[in-house]
Amino acid sequence: MTIRLVGVSASYPTLRVIICLKELGLPYELEPPASYQSLKDEDYIANKHPFGKTPVLFDGDFRITESRAICRYLASKYQGKHNDTILIPNDVHKAGLVDQFISYELSYYDPPLLKIVYQKKFVKNFLNKDPDPEIIKQAHEELAKVLDVYEKLLEGKEYLNGEYSLADLVHCPGTYCVYGAGHSDLWDSRPNVKNWWNRLCNRD
Amino acid sequence: MTVKLIGFEVSPGVLSVMMTLHELGVPYQIENPASWQALKDEDYITNKHPFGKVPVLCDGDYKITETRAICRYLVSKYQGKNNKTILIPNDVHKAGLVDQYISYECSYYTPPVAKLVVEEVFHKTSNPELVETSQKEIDKVLDVYEKLLNGKEYLNGEFSLADLLHIPFTHFIFSATKHADWWNKKPNVKQWWDRISNRDCWKKCVEKIKF
Repeated sequence: MTIRLVGVSASYPTLRVIICLKELGLPYELEPPASYQSLKDEDYIANKHPFGKTPVLFDGDFRITESRAICRYLASKYQGKHNDTILIPNDVHKAGLVDQFISYELSYYDPPLLKIVYQKKFVKNFLNKDPDPEIIKQAHEELAKVLDVYEKLLEGKEYLNGEYSLADLVHCPGTYCVYGAGHSDLWDSRPNVKNWWNRLCNRD
Repeated sequence: MTVKLIGFEVSPGVLSVMMTLHELGVPYQIENPASWQALKDEDYITNKHPFGKVPVLCDGDYKITETRAICRYLVSKYQGKNNKTILIPNDVHKAGLVDQYISYECSYYTPPVAKLVVEEVFHKTSNPELVETSQKEIDKVLDVYEKLLNGKEYLNGEFSLADLLHIPFTHFIFSATKHADWWNKKPNVKQWWDRISNRDCWKKCVEKIKF
C-alpha cells in the first residue's frame, strides 16, 4: 500500500517529508487538503492532526504527524530497504549527534527563518498586508548569529555530522525559501556554510 | 566511567535529562558551570555548547547537547541495560508515535508554558497581560491534550519519554505559580499530571532542585 502524505509541497515542513521519502526511495501520493481553512475543521482535527497542521502521513493504517517525527519514523522503518542512503546512522553515538543537529535546526535555525517566511509569504499572500521590515531585520540579524555558529560547526566537514544525514535534510526547505527571498548573502558570505548549502542543493 | 551532566538543577532541560538518567538506572555526576553568564564565555562555547546552553552530557569522551537529543541517546544506549524501564518502545510504529508526542510537547505545549514559568518563576515578575494571553493559549493546548488522553493513562498508552519531557516545566507551574487550576479543571489532564508527577524518579529529581 502506498504511503499517503497530506500537505502541500509549498509548505516547508511537508517538503521536509517529501525530501525524506525521495532520499529513501519511497513512492508516495501527495494529498493536498481542500484549503488552508479546512485544517481547522472538526473532521481534520479528529482524524488527521489534533492541532490542525500539516504534514500528516498515512502508512497503511498507521497515522503519524509532525515533520521531524515522520522523517525519523520513515528512516527507522525503511532506511536501507530500497537503496543505500543512510539518514540516521546505526551507531548510537553518531545517531545521537544527528539528533543534536536536528535539535539545533529546530531551536536556533528555524525560528528566525520562520519569522522571515511568515512576513514575506504569509502576511503578504494570505493577509494582503505589507511585511514588517523591523521584524525581518531582527530575524535577519538573529539568523546571521546562528550562521556564524554553523560556520564553525562546518569547519573541516562537508555535512553537519561529517556525512549527509537527516540533520542536513531538515534544514533544506526553510533555507531554500529564505535564500531565494533576498537573504542569500547570509549563506554566501560564509565559506563553509556556502559550500554546505551548495552541496545540499546539488542533491537530486 | 560515570556520565557527567553539565547544568543547573533548576533548568527544566537539565531536570529532564536527570529524570531520564534516574528512570534508566544510569549513575551520573552533575557539574554546575560557574554561573549563567559563564555559558557565554568563549571557552564554554568552544568546548561545551556552541549556542551557550545547558544541558550538556559527557559520556566518556563523547559529548552531546540539546535536552531531547541527549534523552534519546541515553535511551538508545542504556534502555534495558540496568532495569526494565521502557522510555521509547522498540516497535517502530509505537516509537514513531512517542516521537510525535515529543514534537507536540516541543512545538505546542512547552512554548506558552515556558514563557509563563520564565517570567513568573525565574524572573519573578508579575505580568497580568502575559497571564491572560498564556491562559488562552495553554487552555487551547490542554483541550487537545484532554482529548488525546481520553481512555489512556499516558500520551502513548504507556509511560514514555514523551510524558517525561512535559514534567519539569509543569512542575514549576504547580509548585510556584497560581495556575495549576488550568490543568486541574480538565479531568484527563489532571489524572495524567498526578500520575507522572508521582513517579519515584521525579520525586528524586525534585529533591535536587536548586534555585
